[in-house]
Amino acid sequence: MMKYFSIVTAWFLCSASAAEPLSFQRDILPVLSKAGCNTGGCHGALAGKAEFRLSLDGYDPLTDHYNITRETRGRRIEFADPARSLILTKPTAALRHKGGKVLEPGSRDYQLLVDWIKQGAPGPRQDDPVLQRLEISPAKAVLNKGDRSQLKVMAFYSDGVEKEVTPWVRFKSVDATVAEVDDGTGEVSVIGYGEGAVTAWFSSQIVIARVTSPFPQQIAADVFASAPVRNLIDTKVLEQLQQLNLKPSPRSTDEEFVRRAFIDTIGVLPTPEESLAFVGAADPGKRDRLIESLLARPEFVDYWTYRWSDLFLVSGKKLRPEALAAYYGWLRDKVEKNVPWDELVRGVVTAKGSSVENGATNFYAVHQDPETMAENVSQAFMSLSINCAKCHNHPLEKWTNDQYYSFANLFSRVRAKGWGGDARNGDGKRTLYVESRGDLIQPRTGKPQAPAPLDGEPLPTDDKGDRREVLADWLTSPDNPYFTRSITNRVWANFFGRGIVEPVDDLRVSNPASNEPLLAALASFVVENRYDLKALMRLILQSETYQRSSLSLPENRGDSRYFSRYYPRRLMAEVLYDAIAGIVAKPSSFDQITLSDGSTAKTGIYAPGTRALQLKDSAVTSYFLETFGRNEREITCECERSSKPSMVQVLHLSNGDTLNENLSAEGSRVSELLPLPAPELIDRAYLLCLSRAATPAEREPLLALFAQAADGEKRALVEDLFWALMTSREFLFQH
Amino acid sequence: MFDFLAEQNASICGGGHLKRREFLQAGVLGAVGLSLPQYLAAKQAGAVRPGHDERACIMIFNLGAPSHIDLWDMKPDAPREIRGPFKPIRTNVPEIDISEILPMHAKIADKFSLVRSCHHDGAAVHDAGWQIMQTGRRFTGGVQTPHAGAVAAKLLGRKSDLPPFVVLPELMGRGGGNLPNGQAGGFLGKAYDPFALMADPSKKDFKVPDLLPPDQIGAARLERRRKMRDIVDGAVKNFEASEDARLLDDNFHAAFRMMTSEQARAAFDLTQEKDSVRERYGMNRFGQCCLLARRLVENGVRFVTLNSFLTVFDQLSWDIHGTKPFISVDQMKDLVAPMYDQGYSALIEDLHERGMLPDTMVTTLSEFGRTPKVNPAGGRDHWPQCFTVSFAGGGVKGGQVVGASDPIGGFPAERPVAPGDVVATIFHSLGLDPQALLEGPGGRPFPLTDFGTAPISELF
Repeated sequence: MMKYFSIVTAWFLCSASAAEPLSFQRDILPVLSKAGCNTGGCHGALAGKAEFRLSLDGYDPLTDHYNITRETRGRRIEFADPARSLILTKPTAALRHKGGKVLEPGSRDYQLLVDWIKQGAPGPRQDDPVLQRLEISPAKAVLNKGDRSQLKVMAFYSDGVEKEVTPWVRFKSVDATVAEVDDGTGEVSVIGYGEGAVTAWFSSQIVIARVTSPFPQQIAADVFASAPVRNLIDTKVLEQLQQLNLKPSPRSTDEEFVRRAFIDTIGVLPTPEESLAFVGAADPGKRDRLIESLLARPEFVDYWTYRWSDLFLVSGKKLRPEALAAYYGWLRDKVEKNVPWDELVRGVVTAKGSSVENGATNFYAVHQDPETMAENVSQAFMSLSINCAKCHNHPLEKWTNDQYYSFANLFSRVRAKGWGGDARNGDGKRTLYVESRGDLIQPRTGKPQAPAPLDGEPLPTDDKGDRREVLADWLTSPDNPYFTRSITNRVWANFFGRGIVEPVDDLRVSNPASNEPLLAALASFVVENRYDLKALMRLILQSETYQRSSLSLPENRGDSRYFSRYYPRRLMAEVLYDAIAGIVAKPSSFDQITLSDGSTAKTGIYAPGTRALQLKDSAVTSYFLETFGRNEREITCECERSSKPSMVQVLHLSNGDTLNENLSAEGSRVSELLPLPAPELIDRAYLLCLSRAATPAEREPLLALFAQAADGEKRALVEDLFWALMTSREFLFQH
Repeated sequence: MFDFLAEQNASICGGGHLKRREFLQAGVLGAVGLSLPQYLAAKQAGAVRPGHDERACIMIFNLGAPSHIDLWDMKPDAPREIRGPFKPIRTNVPEIDISEILPMHAKIADKFSLVRSCHHDGAAVHDAGWQIMQTGRRFTGGVQTPHAGAVAAKLLGRKSDLPPFVVLPELMGRGGGNLPNGQAGGFLGKAYDPFALMADPSKKDFKVPDLLPPDQIGAARLERRRKMRDIVDGAVKNFEASEDARLLDDNFHAAFRMMTSEQARAAFDLTQEKDSVRERYGMNRFGQCCLLARRLVENGVRFVTLNSFLTVFDQLSWDIHGTKPFISVDQMKDLVAPMYDQGYSALIEDLHERGMLPDTMVTTLSEFGRTPKVNPAGGRDHWPQCFTVSFAGGGVKGGQVVGASDPIGGFPAERPVAPGDVVATIFHSLGLDPQALLEGPGGRPFPLTDFGTAPISELF
């Protein structure tokens, strides 16, 4: 009866309305999004508000339409008198509305809702036009501090309609120190210097507008014209520096370069002999030769296996010892052979078989269900976090809940026999295989989504092959924009201390690169060189950009991301540990691991003298490594590693046993150098710790101290000298 | 003025352990020269109200989010699936009832006040709750708002050889999200991060890790080491523009002060407390941290964050979802409430007995509250729409209830309070003007709390 009545009324009113036919998805949902009705703090919350629930940001138009028009006996819509509909009286605060007044009576959006009701409140239809893409203009602008700029967003639909949607876009500034945006009007105001960006969200799609605000200083054009250029990195960086008015710092000295290159490439300090030989050599091509020798050293394999182990979560908290050794061993083998990155990733994504014979299968022991597998493949190899899309459309990205489950369905047939996942018990032996049937049910719809890579074509559901093969093809294809950029950015971040995209694990559209042309060019380079990571490293190491001094100039002090100079940063925990051990000449020993619940277990696989960078496991017990921010490999995230100094670290260095005990021990470096006369001793200490000789300004006061010291005091004095060197900024940082 | 590094500094000032007030009267404020210009500048800028230098704050952060309906905001008349298994009991304040599982709270209800209408619209995930409650703001636009304690450290500076801002026992771990969670200095810089204890004060051999140099390093050698380090550090100018390098310097200065200070060592030395006192607080990590917090405040620390738990993953916390591995409402009564009840009440009573309560604010915060409806697993889930926070001391009048929630504890019914208001209340107690401006990222002026927030005046 009600239904009959409302249909009749709707038809009656339909003929009375003059507006063009409105579409729920195209015209009405954006109004609700813009007014904030379906945001997480309001009716878009899991439980809705006041019994009225909308899908978060409109990812479920069908249910939204039902809830608005039919739920609770359809009392939210009043066809006979649209202005009295709850859907209008509430947001205009005509009736008490806890959300406040979010709609102005008589406004355009108000009228849209009225017209829509008059048209019978039509819902989503099969033939509804679909939003294909958004365009924002100006997409790029060079402005000055104090300027304002109006953004405009156009929406392109599948029926050919192009519509300006600026009033319904949700605008957000990416970096509020450079530019802000008025969410209501889309007007950008520039308040700082650098590269800024604004994201525009509309109907579950996102576009980005970039704003460049040059620094206020004037740099003469010939500074850039005459700046040395070695390769494409320098070209792209200098282009940006010129646009931003940042002056590049000069080249680093040989002492600075040798130490820096050693640490960044292989994680060890140069020995005094190596430093002296390099600095003293006359060969103009010596930096290139040093680079080649570093790339070929055995320590290279240790260092990069360790770095990639962070990504693969090689941890004794998650795996049993035998499987852990196989996982580490597989990775190390690939690094040693410089296997191209795409091949390596394909190998792990499609891995099958025994966890102790094919170490790569342990990736699926660490991530055991399809959703977790999907999230970690995405995070590790594309630097994309799709987790949010597990429950609803991703609020910051374009990934929908449907796409999430399509992607996860690629892993639904991966099964294993054997060890279950208890890191404290069992043999860790697990056989991974792929079923020929089975699909992952999407909770929201109760049905599986057709398996498909994120941006790719869906597979036929009845295909009996290993879906991961298709995934691997799509993932490692040079056309996959995320894959290449992800690895390029990660390698870059190792050498510069920050990625071109920061954070490194966050390559989303709404988190733009600080230098997009640079990243794009580097990505092309990686593809052209078939994912040979050493080729990329070589390019980076050879560039003038990498070789710049860390000394700031007044004309580039404000720069912290455009690479006008090298940015000093604290040494990585493991590198620092090894450096100290090497200098004091006391080999370390690791004999214990700490499990998730805090209990410890013995491990006998590390011979005395094993370096921290040679550890196969982040669970190895070490107060030093933990305090200095080692990546604990709980989740796939570079954010788990910290390089920031803290008072606890300083206290440990100053008073803890890592330095003090090892310096005062018999048979330590101090004992070895004690017989030397003071000037040589000082120089030797400096070379060991800082890879340079002492300057006259340093040598003089130090020699004075040695002269003043009583006979029995020399030992203490030498210990104090090493202490002073190893707690200095210059030692603790790479620069 | 005396030399910090002199072995005999204690005896120069008359021997023995200096009480906090005497220390100040000895002119140490001049000796804490590093912070004096800042302090004066802040005073001049109107950010700091005079006469509040004695004020301090202990922020107990109840990680995991305690269930307000089962603890502080009982709903005995609500349906069974909402009111939960516990009954309210009277307290020594006629107007306030509290849960039966906090009996010791009931004896001191005249000392603390409850705000039952706190709410926020941040995401109902732990990380977001930490961020919003400890800084007063959501994380947006890439701006890392500093923790209230970091702001206090910046504007008020240090008062003694101890760092001005301390976190016990250490910073919280990850909550599953990828956001900064407001525990540290944020855009003020890492120099204002809290000093983390990194140890469990309830353990038998508790000491601050590495606080003291090895025995064979006397004051003379310490001084020589410092001189030599200065020689090395002075040689290279490349670190001037590096924030991390400056932070390292600041850390060294602060560490040196702390480890050469008789007072600092004593502050952390729990063996100086009678066993009966330690047992009153409870010989567990939370209880001993409460005791340590009192001692730190006594010795000039301005702000102590006390995390009652460190993570919701794989460890006991307030996060009573009911499904494994989380505990249920019932289990909270046995496993969490007694320790909390004992520690909190001991702290309040102890501060009161020592005459410290008027100058020391103790506030208990959490990410959010918990769902009014008990879930099928016998637990409750996240609920930011309404929850309870408490304040005591620091100028707060005890024994009051501010705000009220609706009959099921689902939404504020009266006097809704936002996180900005909570943080403004803390600033007000410390003598800081919540509308004073900090230098924000990129030099933008940044009010301590947002425009439109205000301290909860009913409390004072």
